[in-house]
Amino acid sequence: MKKNLLIRLTGLGLAVITAMGMTACEPKTPEGPGGTASAEYTKPDSIKMTFDTCMTFENGLQDVCDEYKNQTGITLEVEKPDHNKYYEKITLAFASGTPSDAIEMGSTYYPENANNGALWDMTDAWENTTAPAKSVVDPSYVDALKIDIRDGNGPRLYGFPTVAGNGTVTYVRQDWMDQMGIKTPETYDEFIGMLRTFKEKGKPGTIPLTAAGLLNNGETPYDIYLREFYQDAIPDFYQKDDGTWVDGFSEPAMEAALTRLHDAFAEGLIDGEIVTNKTSTCRDKVNAGLVGCFNYWAGMWCAKLEDATTGTDPNAKFTALPIIKEAGHYTERVPTALVITNNCANPVGVFEDLIMYSHDGDKGQMLFTHGVVDKHYTDNGDGTCTALPYYEDPTKLCEKAFYAPELSISTWNDPIALDPRVEESLKVFRENRTFATVPVVSDVISENLANLNVVKGEVVANVLHGNISVEEGMAKYNKDAGKYVEAILADLNG
Amino acid sequence: MATNTDAIVVKKPPLSVRIYKYRYFYLMAVPVIVLLLLFFYWPMLGIRFAFSTYKLKHITSGKGPDYSTGLGNFKALFTDRFFLDSFRNTIALSFWNLVFATVFTVVVALLINELQHEWGKKFVQTVLYLPHFLSWVVVASIFTLLLSAGADATGSDPTTVGFINAVFLKLGLIDKPHSFLTETSTWRPCWYIIQRWKETGWGTIIYLAALSGISPDLYEAAEIDGAGRLKQTWYITLPSLMNTILIVFILNLAKILNVFESVFVLYNDLVLSVSDVVQTYTYRKGIQGNDYGYATAIGLFKSVISLFLVTGADYVAKKIRGYGIV
Amino acid sequence: MSTKFSFQKGYRARAVFVILNTIFFIFMMICMIVPIIKILSDSLMNHTVYGMQLIPDEFNPIAYSYIFTRDSLRRPLVISIYTTIMTTFLGLLISTIGAYILIQREMPGVKVFGYMLMFTMIFNGGLIPTFLVMKKLKLLNTLWAVILPMALNVSNLVLMRSFFEGLPTSLFEAAEIDGCTPIGTFIKIVLPLSKAALASIGLFFAVAAWSEYFHYVMYISDTTKYNFQYKLRDLFADKQEAMEGIQINLKTLQSAAIIVSIVPFMFIYPFCQKYFMTGITMGAVKE
Repeated sequence: MKKNLLIRLTGLGLAVITAMGMTACEPKTPEGPGGTASAEYTKPDSIKMTFDTCMTFENGLQDVCDEYKNQTGITLEVEKPDHNKYYEKITLAFASGTPSDAIEMGSTYYPENANNGALWDMTDAWENTTAPAKSVVDPSYVDALKIDIRDGNGPRLYGFPTVAGNGTVTYVRQDWMDQMGIKTPETYDEFIGMLRTFKEKGKPGTIPLTAAGLLNNGETPYDIYLREFYQDAIPDFYQKDDGTWVDGFSEPAMEAALTRLHDAFAEGLIDGEIVTNKTSTCRDKVNAGLVGCFNYWAGMWCAKLEDATTGTDPNAKFTALPIIKEAGHYTERVPTALVITNNCANPVGVFEDLIMYSHDGDKGQMLFTHGVVDKHYTDNGDGTCTALPYYEDPTKLCEKAFYAPELSISTWNDPIALDPRVEESLKVFRENRTFATVPVVSDVISENLANLNVVKGEVVANVLHGNISVEEGMAKYNKDAGKYVEAILADLNG
Repeated sequence: MATNTDAIVVKKPPLSVRIYKYRYFYLMAVPVIVLLLLFFYWPMLGIRFAFSTYKLKHITSGKGPDYSTGLGNFKALFTDRFFLDSFRNTIALSFWNLVFATVFTVVVALLINELQHEWGKKFVQTVLYLPHFLSWVVVASIFTLLLSAGADATGSDPTTVGFINAVFLKLGLIDKPHSFLTETSTWRPCWYIIQRWKETGWGTIIYLAALSGISPDLYEAAEIDGAGRLKQTWYITLPSLMNTILIVFILNLAKILNVFESVFVLYNDLVLSVSDVVQTYTYRKGIQGNDYGYATAIGLFKSVISLFLVTGADYVAKKIRGYGIV
Repeated sequence: MSTKFSFQKGYRARAVFVILNTIFFIFMMICMIVPIIKILSDSLMNHTVYGMQLIPDEFNPIAYSYIFTRDSLRRPLVISIYTTIMTTFLGLLISTIGAYILIQREMPGVKVFGYMLMFTMIFNGGLIPTFLVMKKLKLLNTLWAVILPMALNVSNLVLMRSFFEGLPTSLFEAAEIDGCTPIGTFIKIVLPLSKAALASIGLFFAVAAWSEYFHYVMYISDTTKYNFQYKLRDLFADKQEAMEGIQINLKTLQSAAIIVSIVPFMFIYPFCQKYFMTGITMGAVKE
């Protein structure tokens, strides 16, 4: 060995890279029309859509697309990437310059792309449309997606809600409450009293309350799982009435919330494994009949949790609790958006013939919600319909094609009746919710937020476990997170 | 295995003659080189993103990376306390894991080799390597159950206490359930043990294959010389395995900074200070930041460190044995 | 190499060792198998049990019949088998060729070739550039995008080389004298003598291909081309829709899918293992 191996290896690698020259992998610049819109437009021949939360192809997604072609004459090509890597796939599609015309986007990804100018501004299209959807859709859901990207144009719309954002409610074992003679808790003390009774009178191994983590794994809203304990504390940045942004985590309300969490945990009322719980662990515990209270999605999950739990405990019955007085509200997340990319050649056409059509309160909506007649549901001829079994599982009825029917954003009379348990849990949720706002995004925030969330997570978990006191926790937060908070607040208020 | 041909003074034939002699080998190398260039070297052009700001907005708006950053990504990295902590943790976790892996796996392989019963040997190996097939998510859920201190934080209700705590309590080793995976003092040992549980059996395969290559003549000769079993292992088996041990060690060294999934599924807010590794740090930053340039910079940094480690190890190997693995 | 098992003097130490060794492996096996039994037990109970219950309280193979009767799970099994066979075959081909070249110490350029290989173990281009290359090569949505990058595995190639280095050089010289071309020597001498290496490294390729998930997610959008591991991950995805169309208990189905993904290798390994028993040199002497 005459030469140093290190130099050789590096030199060789660089040589090869250089030799391969400027065969660059840079993406092409997308071309697309701007945000002008009118009621007149040309009908697109075909639309490509990327969707995450739709029916699988095995259960007849292609039949839905075929029926769409049948009804509108437009070829609909749907891509359904893996759920776990959904956003990586979309990024890759953008990077290679070939994103779909329409893409389903969650509330974390949507504002960032709206900010970046990747999405078609559909504000005017929505203002000017004459489609039936205009009169059927509840505008509060549409407004929830408006974003002010601080370009002087005020809040604009870059995506249309597919379904309501929905949120979580606190489910409780109604059968236990009945059996132990507990009435529905209305205050924090009554709520804690209920948990205490579960612990004392329940069978050995009872977990009064469980949740998958303390701060919703760093996803906003952070406080949804433990609303009863956070109450008026907001462990996130929020905008005061006068328009200035403040950090809710460093406010006194947070100290009180941490004290409540610590006390309840020390008393054994909160799952001892809350820090290590995954959502699936919680569901396992609930389905094994061990858990009294579990904060989880409103709607379908009421029935799903109950059905899965009756396998172990035939009497199991779940009810959604109205929110206690001190906590004030559950939170409805920002709805998932269906966006049109700037790469789309005919955005107005896609807006009218895909998005508006899918919310028309009529056969378009029926197709996007329930699928194809005689394949996914049958028409009873008396104005009602009945869902048919899934292709793949004759024992279970079709739930949805693209949009979950129970979360519809329009005043549409679903001809297929909902499971009463689902309806009831949604009713409780909707009576107790407030709408979350689209999270603000900026470079400063995205650079600092991850580290800030780490500090928050460490503080809450350590206070909960009693490793440090509430005061020490707040001091640690101010010391470790101070600079991130400062940078973000300066950016937000600047 | 004498490759030290430089020492022997033989006049080499001219290059063209040597190339002609090996013409068939060049032909055979073509498919390998084609794959190498297409799937490995061509994408490497992307390493230049490390010197750019390349965020979601550059991608979705089609503008492409912004190279005005220069070394900005690296500067940001080295001033980030969380990155530096995660880097230290990665080195500590991976290094000890590599040491335990090498020692434990070789010992288990040697012991398996000593099993006399053919059928028993097969059975033991098959059982031992099964855990390799479980994904980390599954392994984590099982061990979180096993190591749990129970869902009752007061420790008075033992119903949901995990198996290991239950055994330790019964043996009187501890007086109250310990939550092994949420205490900073116990998280790392647990992680090492879980790693060994999952990968030891699988790791023995390569050594067992290598053991089968040792000539029985060597043992016979040793036996005639009166060497006992232990001596045979020490003077024949281990030296014969040394080549494989070194190669496996260096190959693993190249991947030392890539530890991710095993930590990701087992770490939590309480033990972050001892468990956060570079990849989990990148993951968290990635979710919020979507800064591809920054992620590439971290990747490049890791690669450079690996390059030093591998070349260093190779150099040491060369000093000891006279030839390296590269 | 067998030794008499006896407690007589001279054999005593060996006997004690054999007993301790056996106890050690019984302990190891219990540690390894208990969690697997738990999964097996979970897969047979169509309701969720929390904790380490090892004996099922019902015997309900519904999850298994579900896996083998649903197209969405049966077809991925076929894809898995196909890609596993292809990757193993191509992978062994590439590794043996590469390793055979690498042991030609005097071949001009062989060192450069070695460094080129090693370099890719340490440096990589990252997600986006690799995707764009796949796109340019028109491999997106084909199984080649999964098979080809996996077929060139530098670690396996280097391990293969270490086995080849153990082959006696006299054999190559003899073959050359007999007038064998390098390709002839490779096929007639090297491969037959490397059964243990081929078995173990083939197993590495097979298992890697069987458990591959990432390449499918990134390069394939056609849902008919996903493998079993992909579906397995899909079952574990914590999403609201995870239970779409699944009427049986999710936990039961997950457990059954894990068992199905392990079982093939429980049978393949003992088969591969028989090649570990015949030593390289022994084989050479016999033939």
